[in-house]
Amino acid sequence: MRNKIIYNLVLIVALLAQACDSYLDLQPENGTTRDEFWKTKEDVQAAVIGIYSGLLNTPGSGTTIAEYSFMYGELRGGMVGAGAISSDDQRDIITSNILPSNTISNWGTFYTVINYCNTVIDLAPDVLALDPTFTQEQLNQYLSEALAVRAYLYFTLARTFRDVPLKLNATLSDDDNFQIPTSTQDEIFSQVVTDLTTALGWAVEDYGDNPSNKGRITKDAINAMLTDVYLWQEDYPNALIAADAVINSSLGYELIPGGPSWFTTVFARGNSTESIFEFQYTPENRGPFYSIFLQRPEYLAEASVLDDVFGLDFEDPENKDIRGERASLVPGTNEIYKFTGLNADLRKSFSESDTHWFVYRFADVLLMKAEALNELDRGDEALEIIERIRESRLAIELTEEQVTGDDKNGVRMYILAERAREFAFEGKRWFDVLRNARKDSYANIDIILGIAIATAPANQQQSIVAKLKDPNSHYLPIYEYELYTNKALEQNPFYK
Amino acid sequence: MKNIFKLPSMLRFVCLTLFATLVVYNCSDEKFKESTDETLNITEYLRANTDQYSLFLQILDITDYASFMNTYGTYTLFLPTNEAVEAFMTDYGVSSLENIPLEDLQELAKLHILEQKIETTSFTDGKIATPSMQGQFLITGATNSADGSSITVNKSAKITTSNLEVGNGIIHEIDKVLIVATKTLAQTIEDEPSLSLFTEALKATGWYDELDRPITYVDSVPSYLSVIAQTNAVFEEAGYSNLDDLKARYSHLNDPMNPEDSLNLFVAYRISPGLNYLADLAVTPALLTKAPLEVISIKLSADSLLINEETFNGILEKGVQIDREPSDETATNGVLHLVKENYFIKKRLPAPVYFDMADQPEFRQLSSVFRVPGMWASLSDSELSNMTWEGSPSITYTCFDLGSSSRPGWHGDVLDVLRLRDGYINNIEFDTPVIIKGQYKVWISWRQNSRAPNSVRAYFNDTQLARTFNMQEYGDSSTPERVLESQGYKRHIDPFTSRYNCRLLGIINVETTGRHKFRLQSLAYAGGNSWFDVLEFRPVDMDQLYPKFEAGGDGLIYE
Repeated sequence: MRNKIIYNLVLIVALLAQACDSYLDLQPENGTTRDEFWKTKEDVQAAVIGIYSGLLNTPGSGTTIAEYSFMYGELRGGMVGAGAISSDDQRDIITSNILPSNTISNWGTFYTVINYCNTVIDLAPDVLALDPTFTQEQLNQYLSEALAVRAYLYFTLARTFRDVPLKLNATLSDDDNFQIPTSTQDEIFSQVVTDLTTALGWAVEDYGDNPSNKGRITKDAINAMLTDVYLWQEDYPNALIAADAVINSSLGYELIPGGPSWFTTVFARGNSTESIFEFQYTPENRGPFYSIFLQRPEYLAEASVLDDVFGLDFEDPENKDIRGERASLVPGTNEIYKFTGLNADLRKSFSESDTHWFVYRFADVLLMKAEALNELDRGDEALEIIERIRESRLAIELTEEQVTGDDKNGVRMYILAERAREFAFEGKRWFDVLRNARKDSYANIDIILGIAIATAPANQQQSIVAKLKDPNSHYLPIYEYELYTNKALEQNPFYK
Repeated sequence: MKNIFKLPSMLRFVCLTLFATLVVYNCSDEKFKESTDETLNITEYLRANTDQYSLFLQILDITDYASFMNTYGTYTLFLPTNEAVEAFMTDYGVSSLENIPLEDLQELAKLHILEQKIETTSFTDGKIATPSMQGQFLITGATNSADGSSITVNKSAKITTSNLEVGNGIIHEIDKVLIVATKTLAQTIEDEPSLSLFTEALKATGWYDELDRPITYVDSVPSYLSVIAQTNAVFEEAGYSNLDDLKARYSHLNDPMNPEDSLNLFVAYRISPGLNYLADLAVTPALLTKAPLEVISIKLSADSLLINEETFNGILEKGVQIDREPSDETATNGVLHLVKENYFIKKRLPAPVYFDMADQPEFRQLSSVFRVPGMWASLSDSELSNMTWEGSPSITYTCFDLGSSSRPGWHGDVLDVLRLRDGYINNIEFDTPVIIKGQYKVWISWRQNSRAPNSVRAYFNDTQLARTFNMQEYGDSSTPERVLESQGYKRHIDPFTSRYNCRLLGIINVETTGRHKFRLQSLAYAGGNSWFDVLEFRPVDMDQLYPKFEAGGDGLIYE
């Protein structure tokens, strides 16, 4: 009898416990554990490393920042087509059939990582008082990393969505105000420049080991970002200064001569002397690439890329650009190879598919410098840079363009074409096209229209071209869920 | 309380469960919605937004469609705003919607409704695949103006708010009322002063009446027609300023009403069956016309649509451009387009086509493989644009090594199909190069392999060819070649090796000039590779042996 009573009591308690666990939970749910955390410099360091880890694979997000960067930078650029199992949303972006319900326009992952940065920026300075071994210099260095990563994310958002909400302080509890209106693209860009300039003053030049120099924010990475933003702001003198700072850096970047091991060194292994900032995926913490390009291909190279971008020498098949066949793509199947290949013959296996995401490479800074030089009427110097890159990449004669330094538009198009070869599928193409098209209040919109004419499906070409004539359509809509939760947001007029 | 423990165990269990259930349910408030759905249906939505849509609601009320637009279903409604309906009334010359004849109003309302839910993402440059309830198709597009770009319907109405989800479908708000087309093709053409000469030609050849007929349905296929007209200015450019000029040039029987008269054919060549908007033309490589067995080819080059731009025997013939701006003009019985230049049926004599079956554009792109000795590459069905087959394995392009015994094929390469049989790879269909209409003998050549199928049948446009061929059979190097030809074999390469063989498959009648389908079907088992070399279409009156193909090289060898 007693046993039975005990059993019944146990049963009641068990049922009660399962019925509502919040009953037993004494912790307030909307508070972070910051009281226990931000105490020592180790905590700060852990939080900063957390930012990088969030960049690589953001907790709670199925799609990584690297894949978003690929989609934002490539889907609309005319060099990527839909793969066998692309989603409808991906196909719709490729064909400029974009609705606010398109999930690719969900910027949540970016703001998650931005909040990691904001948390460090807000809370790390208080640790100085608590931990006597923590120096101001160390603090500044950590802050520079958080500032630069945040700046880069905002930069990407502003290039993709144009006007986005700018949140510069940490969201620490559910009570924070989330009703933030958008800031204009110009405001975002100038905030990015401010943050990067501050970060530059505090940043580290050399961490002492190669993976950190390529995987964490250095002065050079910040200068590369600055060059990029200045080009978007059409501030060419400053772009030139920032680019030169990287080119003359003490770390000594150089172009690796084209040869059989070039692809393996630069891409498959990564962290080469060509590299400035990369997402450091490892065999234990893999990127999304094996799955999205090889296993369940969501993206393919457009069929015309091999011929039109890299050039095909039908007379002499040995004469080829090292960046094309079996570096960027596999001819015939048009598989994107850059992030899955080991060398010209072999792909990486799944367990070793650790290819990095390349945010800035030396060639990028060189070509950005060329772009600035050309806009400053120094076309001949720009052509020299193009020549230097083409020589080291064994570019073939078919893709050489006969332009002179005073043909500004010609040089501009040549740089754009060279960038397409150099950074194929690295998430740069659409931004390069857009940046050049929007110069001088959209003087070169024909670049975008030309791409649409060449790559749009035949029965939608005219509509796509007409849509793209509206600059608002060059930016993605604000995702409808965001509009629903944040009433202060205003949708891009093209998507109303 | 103590009594509970005295109850039988079953009852005690029930009590406990009840008690526990009570606890569970008391923990959280019930938050379920009692109703299943609160989304408004179309008519309700209009009633809720009368400040913008009261006039269209009135149309629905007058026509009695308001109730069915509130029933469950999957509708698409193109919803004109009040300003749009007001503008329409001004154009129509009425002050109130009641003054419009009920029948007209019904047609008008039905034109705005589709019976399927269509989001703007599936719009193209042409018609929406589902017709409106009125019967006419709506065409979509996009336009750019000072206020930005917007999607358009029937060229003029802009979509101002798109993809509004309602309970029984989807609403796209438009800023203009869509107008029902009331003129036939013939009337549309006649009413356009710049098409007066074309109208005269239509009348002289009797095609005017054909274009004036309302739609009829044969086996539920509507009799839509698409016309490619040309303006007086275009005729002038080509040297024809009046009907007499045209008659003098084309009417070789002096009887334009006769369907065999060239002027009649000239007009018929511009009329094609089916409702083909420009977006449809852009994806239609060859379009049948009303001129018997004549097709026009259509090619999208950058953003222009070109008619009859073709390569014949390596010579490019320039096409004629369609004038996009005035085209896509809807009529009750079809659609009207305009061209920028005069074009006509070209009389072409049959010419031989030597189709190297391995020469597929995707293989050609692989410059380190294509015609490079010792190299090969495999591509799948979806990767090859001009070939399809049953079965998932890939098909291989193989270029043999210089020393290989298989090397003597034309160009030294073959199309290499592993296990051509049911259950692996079979029914391989090729798009042929352009073949000019006429009678041809079809020859196929292959590299012998005792593990290839011993019986393969060929089809030309789904018509079975007379003979099958045996891919295990060696070539005959001793019989005199004219005797061999009479037996349906030949030595197609020079110098010859018996490892290759060539078989006459039959005589075909190519009815239209253009690209056709050629299919290979294995009727037997195959454990190994089938290697195909060349498919020849030689006009029947041409020498069937010469020119031969250079073994292992690119040349042709003449007698």
